[in-house]
Amino acid sequence: MNMPLPHEATQIGREAAEQFLIHEARLLDERRFRDWMALFTEDGIYWVPAAHDQQSPFNQASLFYDDRDLMKTRIDRLEHPLIHVQTPPSRTVHLVSNVTVAPPDSDVGEFAVSSNVVMIEYRLERQRLFAGRQTHRLRYQESMWRIAHKRVDLVNCDSAFEAMAVPI
Amino acid sequence: MNIPMMEAAFNSRSIRDLVEPGRVHRRVYSDPAIFELEMERLFGRAWLFVGHASQVPKPGDFVTTELGREPVIFTRHRDGSLQVLLNRCAHRGPKVLNERCGQRKQFTCLYHGWTYDTDGSLLAVPVPEGCGTEFDKRKHGLAHAPRVGEYRGFVFASLAQSGPSFDEHIAPIRANIDDLVDRAPAGEIAFDAGMHRYIYRGNWKLQVENVLDSYHVPFSHASTVSREGVQFSRREGDATGAKVVEGSRTAADWTRRKSYTVGRGHGWTSNTALDDSKRSSAVWNEYKLVLAERVGSERAEQILTPRLHNTLVYPNVSIMGLNIHVRVIKPLAVDMTEVTIFPVRLVGAPPEMNFRNIRLLNVTHAAASFVQSDDLEAFARAQAGLASRGTDWVDISRGLGAEESDAEHGGLRALATHEMAVRAQYAAWRDYMCEV
Repeated sequence: MNMPLPHEATQIGREAAEQFLIHEARLLDERRFRDWMALFTEDGIYWVPAAHDQQSPFNQASLFYDDRDLMKTRIDRLEHPLIHVQTPPSRTVHLVSNVTVAPPDSDVGEFAVSSNVVMIEYRLERQRLFAGRQTHRLRYQESMWRIAHKRVDLVNCDSAFEAMAVPI
Repeated sequence: MNIPMMEAAFNSRSIRDLVEPGRVHRRVYSDPAIFELEMERLFGRAWLFVGHASQVPKPGDFVTTELGREPVIFTRHRDGSLQVLLNRCAHRGPKVLNERCGQRKQFTCLYHGWTYDTDGSLLAVPVPEGCGTEFDKRKHGLAHAPRVGEYRGFVFASLAQSGPSFDEHIAPIRANIDDLVDRAPAGEIAFDAGMHRYIYRGNWKLQVENVLDSYHVPFSHASTVSREGVQFSRREGDATGAKVVEGSRTAADWTRRKSYTVGRGHGWTSNTALDDSKRSSAVWNEYKLVLAERVGSERAEQILTPRLHNTLVYPNVSIMGLNIHVRVIKPLAVDMTEVTIFPVRLVGAPPEMNFRNIRLLNVTHAAASFVQSDDLEAFARAQAGLASRGTDWVDISRGLGAEESDAEHGGLRALATHEMAVRAQYAAWRDYMCEV
């Protein structure tokens, strides 16, 4: 990126990063999936690896590896009246903590924000727990921070899961 | 469960009575005693898929899994031979290997340090002077699966000393394995792209039946079908997927698809109704060129003309030809099943082609996928519904009597929206279960 970045794009404090993650978590918990998708940049990626320390989404299976097109297909389906695995729908609560912000990457104007996430999901008399470490690469674009890349490393990423429908 | 009681509860006659020409008794899905008998008579005898040779490329590489109730080690010995060993120390019984996969020069039991070679033979016993004078190390190795067979890297084992040979078992379905493996320019495939793993609260047969079920698609997978009745693209080079719904009915092209059975429970469904003349993308076209360079353009054309959708090698593995993968079904309990799905890397294909295949599989068959997750919901609901005593019978009669003989494959042919394949599975099931 050769153009100089506006001042607000060159720094993000821990508190602002945390506010951003809390906002994102709320959108997911309120099932505002389209608003959640809008947090991503046009080239944004949402990735949940299926192996511990997975190096690449290109040569290994992943639980989720969505660009904006796939996110849209996923959300169209989540809003479809005949999505059986969401009949009835899941209810979720996300907890985000242990937020740290890495020094900026001056080349691309992106900040790596690392945090721990716990998602509790309730559906059909059963409650499940998902926990992991997540890394967001945030980029300042169109007057707000957006997610250029979100990676969630679940502690049990390589476990056998019952069906999952909602993003973590 | 004590065995004499089970034997009292089930003689061959009572098992046979659970399967009728167009229906099966709900107990085959819900009765824990039937499940125990399946572990003994079906999973304890049948040729079961263990793994693919590419999972253990070097001596000492290993994968641990279960064949029915039997924990096993799938490994490669120093001489290159593939070994299927029972994962149980010959001394006091602990599982010798505890990880799902890894690499060892030797296999040492954690408890008292008994050490085995990669072919299972006992190499060393600590404090050997404690063994009796008649102790013979040759008699205390890790037990082997009695019979092991391999075809183009697909490794199967039978836990029974005798029974139909591997050739008899695999011959009717070899061409379906070829159909997948031949797509690799190097003529071999590899299971080295990770895996998808899911479990569901339902009987294992629900998944096995489903792989050859073309009837469910417009309904179970309604959320993947557009207003125009078309599913999303599942293959590299396709702009869209198959048309499965027209107006309010299952699309005519979809209903014309065929299913085939060839005995022993095996079968397949024919390719999805897609227009292959329109299949094109930079990645797909490059892959076609690479394949044609290796095998000639005429042969490449033949290989890439889709013939198969899903193939079932009864009872525990299926091979998908649409968005390619291999699926392994592992029963855990009468109402709990684990499934592993391996992406298939076509050795010699451009990396980008393999990446696209891996990526499409995330979308269709991950636990978080668009397709499989609704199937899992269907399996769990079927299991819950089958608790009902409102009726004892599950109907599998679609197309009963309308099967045609299929000379080309030496079996039977029917419409894929019929239930011939399910009936064929129960015919094989009954044979295994009634053989004392």
